[in-house]
Amino acid sequence: MTGRGSFRPEISLRVREALHGYGFILIWVLGFALFTALPLAQTFHYSVNQVTVTAASINLSFVEWANYTRALFTDPNFVELLVGYTIETLVSVPIVLIFAMIIAMFLNLKFRLKGVFRVIFFLPIVITSGPVIKELTAQGAASAPGIASLPAVVEFLEQLPRALRTPVEYLLTSFILILWFSGVQILIYLSSLQKVDRSIYEAAAIDGASSWEIFWKIILPSLSTATVVNAVYTIVTLSHFSENKVIRYIYDQTYDVQGGIGYASALAFIYFGVMIILLGIVYLFLMQWAKRKA
Amino acid sequence: MKQNAIRRYTGVRNRGINPQGFHVSQIKFYILLLPLSVVMILPIIFIFSSAFKPPDELFAYPPQFFVVNPTLKNFTDLFSKLSNSGIPVSRYLFNSIVITLATMAASILVSSAAAYSLSKKRFKLKRALFAINNLALMFVPIAVTIPRFLVIERLSLLNTFWVHVLPVLAMPVGLFLIKQFIDGIPDEVIEAAQIDGASDWWIYWRIILPMIRPAIATIGILTFQAAWNNAEISTLYVNDESLRTLAFYLSTLTTTATGANAVAGQGVAAAAALIMFLPNLIIFIFLQRQVMSTMSHSGLK
Repeated sequence: MTGRGSFRPEISLRVREALHGYGFILIWVLGFALFTALPLAQTFHYSVNQVTVTAASINLSFVEWANYTRALFTDPNFVELLVGYTIETLVSVPIVLIFAMIIAMFLNLKFRLKGVFRVIFFLPIVITSGPVIKELTAQGAASAPGIASLPAVVEFLEQLPRALRTPVEYLLTSFILILWFSGVQILIYLSSLQKVDRSIYEAAAIDGASSWEIFWKIILPSLSTATVVNAVYTIVTLSHFSENKVIRYIYDQTYDVQGGIGYASALAFIYFGVMIILLGIVYLFLMQWAKRKA
Repeated sequence: MKQNAIRRYTGVRNRGINPQGFHVSQIKFYILLLPLSVVMILPIIFIFSSAFKPPDELFAYPPQFFVVNPTLKNFTDLFSKLSNSGIPVSRYLFNSIVITLATMAASILVSSAAAYSLSKKRFKLKRALFAINNLALMFVPIAVTIPRFLVIERLSLLNTFWVHVLPVLAMPVGLFLIKQFIDGIPDEVIEAAQIDGASDWWIYWRIILPMIRPAIATIGILTFQAAWNNAEISTLYVNDESLRTLAFYLSTLTTTATGANAVAGQGVAAAAALIMFLPNLIIFIFLQRQVMSTMSHSGLK
């Protein structure tokens, strides 16, 4: 027992802090390694193999990148779905962010029933996951198909160049659906708006700044971190949304005779790659903007 | 005098910079917020109204939003199916409740502890771990189901209660969101506590957790939904009927009702969706107060 007394002083403060840090994160790392990292590595292994499942075992035969080339160059549906997903995400993210920001700024003001409104705008958090959205999309209530077939809208869409037509049509038909994805984002914006000291606004107003200037010069820069967080969160929720077409396709391929586990794993990794690229673009764009503001 | 009477009558209490009550200038907020909040509430009205729809309204084209002739038939159908099941429904319900509560508590503790460590501690692997978490955030969960099955099999967790809880403990989204909130807590608060002799555990339990209550409540709502609505784990990793969840049971009811009985199946599905949804709404109503109230005076400036 003398060991303890003589060892303790030798642990420097820094090492001790590091040890405490590791201690707090240990369980998480274990869970993550076992149930996420390990399966991920395994999935990657599958994606470069032809996987055949028999009753007794799983047989692998190494095929290099054949699954990937098949997905990208032979599969008639996958690339089209990916492009659709990319367009939808690029349209949705700015809308969710702007909408959430505007609503958060309103909810940060003082007026009667503000508490009720805050709850209402946070409500989508129970809508977009779980049975509600499934029921809604099954009934066709999440999109507004009627809008896209209105004569005026059809005419308007035909006027647009081809490249713009899909995003605009998506925007018109699923605008409501996009709004439902903004619950947590509004909350994050609201909480960082509340950290801004109100006296800064007053000081700016006394110095003669209009509310427009206050928005661009004070509010927006103070929301830059929250915007990055929200962008990441929006992309992730949109991409993991259970009714997402790419996800459904990957899921179908897993149990398909033509596809199989190996092929589905390759699809998942390509999807993963596209998501990271999307995120990288949004992140770089926002970081550039945040840096310029700062 | 007269003006005061009018003010009192219309609810206008003062005309100062910070009106306490209603003020005419606030009308523009309501004009903007009211229609949008209707949009936000619509899905909930929809789920309620479709559970009471008779078959002809469920299949009406174009779909109707509100129920015209409300009926309880969907629910009586559902309950008659429930009473025919081999295992009492209370068993599934009990499993679901225990699993959901265990998952919520455990995953909140694990993610907030990890987030505290990643946000406020200094150690070598910190940045790498957070980067890995952010990468994992991006990965589609369904693609790892089969490899995950193999891991679970090797750990001999198949057909146990733990298989419902353990795999979902390390939730990347939870860590990501909670870390962002802890980042907002100034280091000075923690340093002050350290100087006063607080241990790490004390700081985590008494300072960090109370300060991030809004984030915890948010993650609580998200985890609750993920756990409560999870039928997948019961399908994939559990063979023992008495260890499966209510979500799984209700989903079998509605999928086996296809074929000849597809029309009635839709009604039962709508009723089941409402029953599955109600706990989500209740937990939301309970936890939203945490989210909203503490946010305004969390002491972070």
